[in-house]
Amino acid sequence: MKRDQKTPLRPHNSVREPAFRLSVTDGAELTEALRCGATRREVMGWLMASGMTATVAGTIIGGASNALAQTPKKGGQLRVAGFSSSTKDTLDPAKGSFSTDYARGFMFYNGLARLDESLKAQPELAESWEANADATEWVFRLKKDVTFHDGKKLDAQDVIYSILRHKDPKVASAAKTLADAVQEVKADGPNVVRVKLAGSNPDLPVLLGTYNFLIVKNGTADFSAAVGTGPYSVKEFKPGVRSVALRNPNYWKSDKPHVEEIEFFGIQDDAARLNALLAGDVHLMGQLDPTAIPRLESTPGYAVFETKSGQFSELVMMEDRAPSNNADLRAAFKYLFDRPRLVKTLLRGRGVVANDQPIDPTNPFYCTDIPQRVQDFEKAKFHLKKAGMENVTVPIYASDAAARSIEMAVLLQQAAQQIGLKIEIQRQPADAYWSNTWMKRAFHFAVWNPRPTADIILTLTFKSDAEWNESRWKSPEFDDLLLKARSEFNDDKRKTMYCRMQQLIRDDAGRAIVCFSSFLDGVSSKLKGLRPIPLGNFGGGQFAEDVWLDS
Amino acid sequence: MRWSIDGAHDVIRLIAGRLGLGAVTFLVVTLIVFAGTQLLPGDVAQQVLGPSATQATLAALRHTLGLDQAPYVRYLSWLGRLLTGNLGVSLVNGLPNSELIGPRLLHTLLLAGATAVFSVPFALVVGAAAAMLRDSLFDRVVTIVTLCVVSVPEFFLATVLVLIFAVKLGWVPAISYITEFHSVGQLLRSLALPVVSLSCVVVAQMARMTRAAILNVMNSPYIEMAILKGVPRRRIILRHALSNVIGPIANVVALNLAYLVGGVIIVETIFAYPGIAKLTVDAVSTRDMPLLEACAMIFCSAYLLFVLLADLFAIVSNPRLRHPK
Repeated sequence: MKRDQKTPLRPHNSVREPAFRLSVTDGAELTEALRCGATRREVMGWLMASGMTATVAGTIIGGASNALAQTPKKGGQLRVAGFSSSTKDTLDPAKGSFSTDYARGFMFYNGLARLDESLKAQPELAESWEANADATEWVFRLKKDVTFHDGKKLDAQDVIYSILRHKDPKVASAAKTLADAVQEVKADGPNVVRVKLAGSNPDLPVLLGTYNFLIVKNGTADFSAAVGTGPYSVKEFKPGVRSVALRNPNYWKSDKPHVEEIEFFGIQDDAARLNALLAGDVHLMGQLDPTAIPRLESTPGYAVFETKSGQFSELVMMEDRAPSNNADLRAAFKYLFDRPRLVKTLLRGRGVVANDQPIDPTNPFYCTDIPQRVQDFEKAKFHLKKAGMENVTVPIYASDAAARSIEMAVLLQQAAQQIGLKIEIQRQPADAYWSNTWMKRAFHFAVWNPRPTADIILTLTFKSDAEWNESRWKSPEFDDLLLKARSEFNDDKRKTMYCRMQQLIRDDAGRAIVCFSSFLDGVSSKLKGLRPIPLGNFGGGQFAEDVWLDS
Repeated sequence: MRWSIDGAHDVIRLIAGRLGLGAVTFLVVTLIVFAGTQLLPGDVAQQVLGPSATQATLAALRHTLGLDQAPYVRYLSWLGRLLTGNLGVSLVNGLPNSELIGPRLLHTLLLAGATAVFSVPFALVVGAAAAMLRDSLFDRVVTIVTLCVVSVPEFFLATVLVLIFAVKLGWVPAISYITEFHSVGQLLRSLALPVVSLSCVVVAQMARMTRAAILNVMNSPYIEMAILKGVPRRRIILRHALSNVIGPIANVVALNLAYLVGGVIIVETIFAYPGIAKLTVDAVSTRDMPLLEACAMIFCSAYLLFVLLADLFAIVSNPRLRHPK
């Protein structure tokens, strides 16, 4: 179940698809890889897999300004291929855990707020909100005259039900932990909802703009269909097969949506999904493999849609067990990664280097003042010597479950040879990686999906007592700052606090966070209006009401 | 076809025996499927409720699902439901398994049927022709081509076909994702690539087996006798040899058809075809035991059924049984 919380970035069928592919133009990288000890078979594999790609520079479409400059056209049938599809597909916002579920959710429902490109909460079903001084009590005023697909008017009871159901253990909501911070939700008239929190949280509107907190009709228990207030209604939904969404003619945003019908289904295989796009069978495909970028860009009529995000890849070094309990050994590892090269080769430049802390440049609280850590064999050697571990062999666990971790491990292994450190790569099957290896082995790779606020990601995995504190890092100063930042409304003061927290993690935590990768979708140039919301593929799941088809 | 009375009795006895054996095999298979799903790591209740579930809710759900009963009780009640056609309810989304399986099984049968209609006659004709024209150029070409096709993995073949016929030429869709029936032409276009990919695999195998089986019989003394009597080669093969090789060929065909029903996960994945193999993989990864058991039983039943039919076919077509001494 852990895996659901950390939505896998790749489908689990990567068996025949090498995750790491270089184009033939990366000759220098390959020669180096060979010299540095990648086996001949590995390198041949990379070459074969790169196939007939040609590196042709292309244009990135997207960007709200570009899309909004044109007048949207009405109508048309949009076909979209997601990358996960199983009988687990759901229309219940409490249950969904894959980006296909998110995309469906935003077709059929609305949240109280909606997140924009900089992850700020904009009014949606709530037209305004305010909080008391310490952000523990909130008042949300609902828009009037919003109706559900069945004609019922939206009122405070629907909102109360939608929030409180996450606290019911029987619902088994993915957002239970977040909802447990809500102490009380009550109506103040038909269109006002008062929310009382157990602790202060200035980010509450952002939380309520995320997928799990989409608003369902009061009392809904059967989610075989979705009766929401969203831009589309359900025409058909078959888990593991497809959904068909029909334009909601009575949508409360009178100028939206634009498309008449959206057919949404899953193609798990990366290559098949790309082929479906290139053959004109779909207009939009989720999760483009970075190695396919040249092929897509060299085909006229198609483009890559990039959404920069805080999705990060890391090497976890657990502080409570050997050999990673040695601080100097951990420090040595942080100096071994050639981060720009990882971004260039593994992500094909669609990402940014990270600085051993999890807040990325799309986040309003990203700290620009911390010096970037770079590959430095001298420092790495120094720390290794200080640790007295020059002659040990360190096992490192990697798996396809943590996207691109096997390739990172190979590159790390090569770099480690430079300082005389031996690394043994333990490749694990994707199926049970999150339950059997993650947070169980001293050195292992992990990937985290972006979270809507800095507070959430820091609380989830860096707070001393967090269940998913992967490296068992404990810092009273950090915990203290995290709590203080929650009751601070002044953005400048909050930024100073978050900056300090980022510095603490970078310097001290047993986490080598090496890069932030962008979400990539493949799109037909007929499709316009996509906006990059930094939370995931398909414009953070919110593409449905913005997009339109240009004939 | 002339049947002697004794021969008919023998055949009926053999058929009855074969059917009885089939029933026993079916029971053994149910036992293996049930035991197999019990061996999968991970508890269903835990899987449904998630990691934050308390012991009390877990115990309550286990009781509701009947997981707290002894294994043999659960097996018997499952078998009882299975025999009455009740496939149970999916644990993951609460839909009846028959509803999940039904449309996808139809898709699978459509694909398997289309492939069989295309490939079985083709393979038999090619195999028989190669045997008749043994050591000719045609025979050599068939041998080499089938050998090549059999050695190429189907995912490679399918991907190349997609690249050429869907992406480059645009004749057919890249995915065979059928949800609505518009016209026969459109259906054929959608099915073209998966049928060709699957046919390549099964045709090669069936053609080679047909050729080998016929040539094997051709070396037996009674054929030599026929040759010495001056019977034409075509007549020897069609009249004397073929009736004796129908048994083995029917079995190869049956195994290939069963494979088409149960084992086409790769083709289903590449063409995003909503068939039953993908449903089974889903069931494994979500630990949806009732769904998995239902799918497994469908695969096993398909194998049993096809092999049974092949055996029956072999029995009634065997001249030695039809004409006992």
